[in-house]
Amino acid sequence: MSKKIFSIMVMALLTTLFIISTASAESLKIGSMSPLTGPYASDGTDIKNGVLTAIEVFEKQEGGIPGYDKIELFPQDDVCDPRNAVAAANKLINLKVVGVIGAYCSSCTIPASETLDEAKIVMITPASTNEQVTDRGLPYMFRMCGRDDDQAPAAAKFMKESLNAKTIFIIDDKTTYSQGLADGVSKNCKALGMNVVTHDHVNQGDKDFSAVLTKVKGANPDILYMSLQGYSPAALMSIQAKRMGIKAQIVTQDAVFQPKYMEVAKEAAEGVYLTYGFTDPTTPEYKAFQQIYEPKYGKIAAYATYAYDSTIALLKAIKAAGSTDPDKIKAELMKLEFNGASKHIKFKENGDSGSSYIAFKVVKGEFVPYWEPTNGLIK
Amino acid sequence: MDSFIQQLINGITLGGIYALIALGYTMVYGVIQLINFAHGEFFAAGGYVGVIFLSFFTGLGYMETHPILCLTASFALAMMYCAYLAIGVEKIAYKPLRKEARLAALLSALGVSIFLSNGLMLTQGVYDKAYPSELFQGGFSFGIITIGYLQVLIVCLTGALLVALNLLVFKTKIGMAMRATAQDKTMSALVAIGSNKIISLTFGIGAGLAAAAGIMVGLYYGSVRYDMGFLPGIKAFSAAVLGGIGNITGAMLGGLIIGMVEIFGAGYISGEYKDVFAFIILIGVLYFKPTGIMGENIDDTRV
Repeated sequence: MSKKIFSIMVMALLTTLFIISTASAESLKIGSMSPLTGPYASDGTDIKNGVLTAIEVFEKQEGGIPGYDKIELFPQDDVCDPRNAVAAANKLINLKVVGVIGAYCSSCTIPASETLDEAKIVMITPASTNEQVTDRGLPYMFRMCGRDDDQAPAAAKFMKESLNAKTIFIIDDKTTYSQGLADGVSKNCKALGMNVVTHDHVNQGDKDFSAVLTKVKGANPDILYMSLQGYSPAALMSIQAKRMGIKAQIVTQDAVFQPKYMEVAKEAAEGVYLTYGFTDPTTPEYKAFQQIYEPKYGKIAAYATYAYDSTIALLKAIKAAGSTDPDKIKAELMKLEFNGASKHIKFKENGDSGSSYIAFKVVKGEFVPYWEPTNGLIK
Repeated sequence: MDSFIQQLINGITLGGIYALIALGYTMVYGVIQLINFAHGEFFAAGGYVGVIFLSFFTGLGYMETHPILCLTASFALAMMYCAYLAIGVEKIAYKPLRKEARLAALLSALGVSIFLSNGLMLTQGVYDKAYPSELFQGGFSFGIITIGYLQVLIVCLTGALLVALNLLVFKTKIGMAMRATAQDKTMSALVAIGSNKIISLTFGIGAGLAAAAGIMVGLYYGSVRYDMGFLPGIKAFSAAVLGGIGNITGAMLGGLIIGMVEIFGAGYISGEYKDVFAFIILIGVLYFKPTGIMGENIDDTRV
């Protein structure tokens, strides 16, 4: 008998606990999706940190969202694997999040956005540059970063006009992003009359590039174009290329725009060029972001800034909409126009927010703006 | 021809690293018939201990005055650390399961692998850790061929470790005890060989060699990462199987073959199928000779 009473009491206690926990502290739920483990864990962690910083800044500066005590983030780990990304999207749907920031890899953003679209959840990607992300016409898909079909022509033009390149050796690592970009660069270089000597591939997670670099050395091209996902393989390849005495100028892309690249590659990073969206680090918006981010998470890396802006845009839209209705949020996102940390933000009809690719050069361990498509060299 | 020689050098370097890791798989298998899937993590842990000590010495300024001494100390410390780590893992995760079905220990090994790799991620962070880069940069150039000082160092050190291991296993009393335990645990116990001690020793030596490989990889490629143990672990395991698992000479040979095939496949056919070539060779050899290349004399040279 006493056992029965005891179990009833436990049940009652558990039930009250459950009721209390659901009743108190109404929080606005948003999700993020990026690789937190696996080969791109560092890039994905930057995105999560950017989102967390945005929530902190938004609560401090704009006083949060009326009707909610706090904004709660549910970070999901997609390991840059499309299957995990769809699972993460389903989990976020079950959690009833209002919006999702992510993903990092284009190969994850594309399937996950389709799942989220069925549940009418707004998704803003801070990092997926593949054209297909916004070209499928999904109504709730937005993009804060640039597009590869803007980046590829800019890179090709830079190599032709500024570096006077005639021959180019392209290496990619076979992700949706890196291969798509490499194909684009190859096409644009050919259109500008450059000779693409070889377009070779390596595998994700490779550490040893000596075989392919020996080929580069034999071909002796003007440019070695590295289209690799993440700073880590790019740093390894730069080190090995330097050690082998490869004379070709290394040019790379946006995923390498990370201070960690110079930390690992050190002298081998010096003089490397890469294309990335232009961000003015002197604006008050950027400084506000920097002040909160850097003491907690270290130097700002590639996509943390875009993740921050994506989150601010989403929260601004939710606040303006005054509800969590997806169509109202979408309408507010379309109306939104403000100066973000990365750039001036205004979404276009298809969900893109425009690209502003320029070339940076690594000088003494810093990314220095070097060249821009319309006016050439930046003084 | 020049690029052929260059690729040959690249292949020997990579193969040497695989061989060092493969030895741990093969030795443990020889003694307790367990495929220690956590072995790749000892390799990663070794790389991390190495970078920690090398950065420490660099910070103190000893690296400039006594580079060889610092390097030797880092190698010794990392190898010792990983040896004790492996012995501890064996005591906690494998020993209680020794009398159970073999599958239980295998699953335990997989669990340990995930545990160690995530432990590294949580304690050391998700970012790459850079090795002090001033070490042994540059190399000898002959026309288009470049042999890095580090490549020379890796090949020499690998060779020295392999010779030392061979002497230990085939020329000393301890080695004899190891071989005896590998052949028959009960019988060797009857002639007063402590099998627990020998098993610990085997794990320790295997992990020590993997740790040495970890530092070499860190020096050679410039950085270490928490998940670096997985892929080389699988490749080295393939190398051990290719050479005939349980056979020390086989593991060395297998490592070299896998390294060479990878580099030549990537260099002359295509980089994207680099991993495929290694596994095609493995499947081919196993199809025609299921015991591996050196598998036939399994009774007398097995450890």
